[in-house]
Amino acid sequence: MSMIRFDNLSKRYESGYEALRSVSFEMDAGEMAFLTGHSGAGKSTLLKLLMLIERPTSGNLLINGKNLNRLPHSKVPFYRRQVGVVFQNHQLLFDRSVYDNVALPLQVAGYSHGDIGRRVRAALNSVGLLDREKHNPIALSGGEQQRVGIARAVVHKPKILLADEPTGNLDPQLSTEIMALFKRFQDVGVTVLVASHDINLINRMNMRIMRLNQGEMEQDGISYGGY
Amino acid sequence: MAATNSKSRNSAQRGARGHVLSRLDRWRSYRDHHRSTLTSSATKILREPLQSLLTILVIAIALTLPAALYLGVENIRQLSGGVDASAQISVFVKKGARESALDALSETLEGLSGVASVRYISAQAAVDEFEALSGFGSALQYLDENPLPDSFLVQPLLVSNAERLVTDIRQLNLVDDVQLDLEWLQRLDALLDMGRKLVLALGAALGLGVILVVGNTIRLAIQSRRDEITVVKLVGGTDAYVRRPFLYSGFLFGIFGALVAAILLTTLGFWLAGPVDKLALLYRSQFSITGLGLGGVVTLLLIGGTVGLIGAWLAVGQHLRKIKPR
Ligand SMILES: Nc1ncnc2c1ncn2[C@@H]1O[C@H](COP(=O)(O)OP(=O)(O)OP(=O)(O)O)[C@@H](O)[C@H]1O
Ligand SMILES: [Mg+2]
Repeated sequence: MSMIRFDNLSKRYESGYEALRSVSFEMDAGEMAFLTGHSGAGKSTLLKLLMLIERPTSGNLLINGKNLNRLPHSKVPFYRRQVGVVFQNHQLLFDRSVYDNVALPLQVAGYSHGDIGRRVRAALNSVGLLDREKHNPIALSGGEQQRVGIARAVVHKPKILLADEPTGNLDPQLSTEIMALFKRFQDVGVTVLVASHDINLINRMNMRIMRLNQGEMEQDGISYGGY
Repeated sequence: MAATNSKSRNSAQRGARGHVLSRLDRWRSYRDHHRSTLTSSATKILREPLQSLLTILVIAIALTLPAALYLGVENIRQLSGGVDASAQISVFVKKGARESALDALSETLEGLSGVASVRYISAQAAVDEFEALSGFGSALQYLDENPLPDSFLVQPLLVSNAERLVTDIRQLNLVDDVQLDLEWLQRLDALLDMGRKLVLALGAALGLGVILVVGNTIRLAIQSRRDEITVVKLVGGTDAYVRRPFLYSGFLFGIFGALVAAILLTTLGFWLAGPVDKLALLYRSQFSITGLGLGGVVTLLLIGGTVGLIGAWLAVGQHLRKIKPR
């Protein structure tokens, strides 16, 4: 059974603008894919639907066989705990340490103190920032902040990892490192979907690419790679 | 015994380490979150002393005013309690009533509910008293017969009973006229009644004010923590989790406000105690001022906390909904 399944999904914003038109695709558990397309193509909208930040206008969205349309509002937080998300503007909180930022998903889910400590350090270790746990994220570089965001997205071992322009304003080498990091999570069975318009980078990764155009799925296949 | 203990502890730890959280772990962390939210809300209030102080002072004043009025009314009521004894109803009997009829009437009067005592005053006794008191004694001698009727003096248990007693007595046979003395006592009673209603009205109005003030403070807090709320929701924080710190702040604002109000009222009590004692001494009265007391302080804290909580609840319900994601 596929982990993510879009079934003729459309999204029309209140403004009347149709950001997604009858989009269909499937992703298996443990699969990794890139979502690309011009600016305004609907990449962020698609990820927002997966996070239940927005609700579809029509069509079905199935996660692990369960239809999210039928998920009541009270169950939404528990669904979100199965998903990790990395934002373009990393959305770190600057009123607390790196450690506390990464710990947030665990605190929210009610993990014990000791458990939180162990998991946060493991997550920070996996992004190579264990020595920065006590820093305020504002004192970190853009790339480091992005990695803190990733640590926060994976600290609770989600089944699905979503990223919206995670390499937005990073230099090519850092971008490659970040992508390699995502690949490592895929290797341990996480389903990873990354929205990016960094075509060069994506092509180099040799993975499935879905391209949106004006809200429609224009192309869906494996990149040729090898550059 | 020790072996099984350590074994169960081990398995509990293993459970916590795995993906599934045990119920106990959940409860512990729920409790921990309540505790840490309470302390962090308190430190947040203390860390922004100016804004917080303003809110707390407004709440304190809003609680002090009706509470002071209430204490004033209660003290006056206690003072007037002593004069219930001086409210009397004069019952004048129709002329020519027989002795047995008078006895029956006396019994009926004593049997009425709310009556403390009944005293019979014969027409002759009344004349004697009149002569002694007025000095018109000689004038009465020119009249053929005694113009004064037999009468009863009825002592009601409470001033508030007097009015009803008068109507009841007026309907009895043989009763010619009924007079209630000491109208001023009733006026005082009515005044106290009004005072009590004023306390309620003022309390309600100012309580509403407190709700609005707390609501506004919480609204500002929500706005300044918008980013945090968004992130907490995105990583799976429930509505209750997001609400909690704001509800605690509202509650604490109310509690702190009530504490300041209690201090103000106690100070006011001490300040008034001296003059009141002097006054009581002049009137040879045992009266001394009744303050808030422990029960009053607890009530004040309860009211403050509740009103603060309501204000926060309303603000949270209104403003959290506007923050995406839902
Ligand atoms: N809340 C909204 N209300 C109305 N229209 C919106 C809203 N969010 C996005 N849109 C519109 O929907 C379209 C798709 O937006 P989306 O953010 O999904 O694009 P994108 O592919 O992520 O673009 P970019 O690469 O620039 O991030 C855009 O035209 C945008 O203007
Ligand atoms: Mg976007």
